[in-house]
Amino acid sequence: MATGSGHYPIYLLHDVVKKREAKGVAFRLKVPSLRIDRGEKIALIGESGSGKSTLLDMLAFVLQPSAVGAFRFRPEEGEDALDLDASWQRGNLNILGDMRKRHIGYVMQTGGLLPYLSVHDNINLSRSVLGLRLDGTVEHLAEMLGIADQLKKRPDALSTGERQRVAIGRALAHRPAIVIADEPTASLDPYAAQNVMSLFLGLADEFNSTVILASHAWYHIKSLGLRRLAHRTTRSKGSKLTETVVSG
Amino acid sequence: MIRNLFKILRLATRDYLYEWQMSLCFVLGLAAVLGPLLVLFGLKFGIVGAMMDQLIEDPGNHEIRPVGSGHYDRAWLESVREQPEVAFLVPRTRSIAATIELASEHSSRIVSVELIASASGDPLLASDTPLPEGLTRVVISRRTADKLAVKPGDVLDGSLARRYRGQQERVHLDLTVAAVAPEQAFSRDGAFVSVQLLEALEDFRDGRAVPELDWRGTQADAERSYPGFRLYARSIHDVAGLRDAFADVGVDVHTRVAEIELVQRMDRNLTVIYWVIAGIGLVGVSLSLGASLWANVDRKRKQLSVLRLVGYRTRDIVWFPIVQALFTAILGWALALSIYFATARVINVMMAAQVEAGQQVCLLLEVHYAIALALTCGAAVIAAGLAGMRSARIEPSEGLREL
Ligand SMILES: Nc1ncnc2c1ncn2[C@@H]1O[C@H](COP(=O)(O)OP(=O)(O)OP(=O)(O)O)[C@@H](O)[C@H]1O
Ligand SMILES: [Mg+2]
Repeated sequence: MATGSGHYPIYLLHDVVKKREAKGVAFRLKVPSLRIDRGEKIALIGESGSGKSTLLDMLAFVLQPSAVGAFRFRPEEGEDALDLDASWQRGNLNILGDMRKRHIGYVMQTGGLLPYLSVHDNINLSRSVLGLRLDGTVEHLAEMLGIADQLKKRPDALSTGERQRVAIGRALAHRPAIVIADEPTASLDPYAAQNVMSLFLGLADEFNSTVILASHAWYHIKSLGLRRLAHRTTRSKGSKLTETVVSG
Repeated sequence: MIRNLFKILRLATRDYLYEWQMSLCFVLGLAAVLGPLLVLFGLKFGIVGAMMDQLIEDPGNHEIRPVGSGHYDRAWLESVREQPEVAFLVPRTRSIAATIELASEHSSRIVSVELIASASGDPLLASDTPLPEGLTRVVISRRTADKLAVKPGDVLDGSLARRYRGQQERVHLDLTVAAVAPEQAFSRDGAFVSVQLLEALEDFRDGRAVPELDWRGTQADAERSYPGFRLYARSIHDVAGLRDAFADVGVDVHTRVAEIELVQRMDRNLTVIYWVIAGIGLVGVSLSLGASLWANVDRKRKQLSVLRLVGYRTRDIVWFPIVQALFTAILGWALALSIYFATARVINVMMAAQVEAGQQVCLLLEVHYAIALALTCGAAVIAAGLAGMRSARIEPSEGLREL
């Protein structure tokens, strides 16, 4: 960690519940308690449908929890912790959007690129919304991610792996305090996945970002030194309810 | 904040250009509805306008003629003329005395013409034709001009006769053709002359002296009285009121009030039709444009959610579809206008023979173009704004996970 004495919580969650239901099939994600410190690298590992994306979306403030004991967010040391649940309750999405804009980079499972912008402008999107000047960061990231030659292209002329690297570039370009990545390598072959994953984690290190990563492939996560969140999924056959409990 | 708005405008523009085929489809779709509508509206406006103009401007519809002959003195006529509803009034002399025989050196014929009292502002004469004046300048009817083979500037010989102290007596006077009145002003043989000349001719026939023309006779009466007058109301809407005012003072007049009421009723009915068409057009264009824009915003919801993911605010996001809708509205309007111009030209050329010179069958005013643009943009902004607001209101997560 570059700043401060180190460990203070960015996220502090208590009794956060998200319930989703469609056509009588229900899913419930429970988070009795979760604390993520500045500079941590967190891995969220679970099978498909276990609620990883659900949790990450809540941590990126794009999905409102169904019930909240506490949901506090403190992006910088010394700042007051923000009660995000209050913003949700008031419907104040702009505060949430501003927090996300300044402090969070999000790599989506797939897609999330704008087809009408060049690779360069797609990566730069997270900077331009903040009004940051062009300072070579985009080029540097593209260099590191091996897509320096592709900067002028549009996303539709990229391979899937290249698109995923553009998405990683955008999530990091504004040097956010937190990078959230939802299975960034899911659609890649194992070799490319390993490659992209280590590129991602390397850059996150370089940018001093806290990393929250979802993956169902834990075998190569283990070697990268991530803290794994404890998590348990139960399926009740009769009531058509799947419930996942995450804590850490 | 303003900066982010500009960024959204740029993003919206780039998306619009990137998806140019889609954009073109929307523009064509709008023009396909709006263009024919403009043509329809132009036809309605042109045809109805021309018809109403003809009916409203036909001087015959403004005319109020006293029935029979009376005794109207100058002061009374003056007081009538001063009423605001009266556009034109000149006294008439006895019609039996209001004739003259005209001859010209260009023709061997002698034409007996009716004389019509006239003055400046005569609704039967175009405002830019020279007026009959004094005892020498007259405006003759087309028919008379043809018979005598004369043109403006030519000099005619006018002659009239009387029986004076048991003797047949004929006098001649030179009359200059100031102008030739169009066919529709007076279709028989006739001449528009000043009241002064009419009075002189009547005096001569009655055996009174006309010193200006060296015609001898008895001394004229001090106070002249006229048997009638030519009166035109300011507009067709004033005719009925004037008729009633004359009836109140015991002057029986002849008007075309019945025809005017027919015209007015037709005007009202056509106006209703006009607005029905306008209403249908407005609803049609709004619905077609609104539906396509709404669908388009729905299609883009995932992309809009990406913008929210990187932190654009709800308010900024709503501008994205609005800007694109405005592009579509303006381009579609411009294309519709081209369609209209081309079609209107063809129609007007084709129909030119059927209407009077200068009249157009298909006609719109600039204000109509402006109204069409305003309504199109309004409908576009409302549809796109509502759809954009709906997209901005759903949770970003929902939009991002859309298939
Ligand atoms: N909009 C929704 N409405 C109802 N249920 C939903 C909705 N979205 C997700 N779910 C359910 O919530 C559960 C968790 O979904 P989530 O996307 O978080 O899983 P995941 O762990 O990310 O899976 P994967 O590894 O396949 O991405 C799933 O069982 C899914 O069926
Ligand atoms: Mg997922």
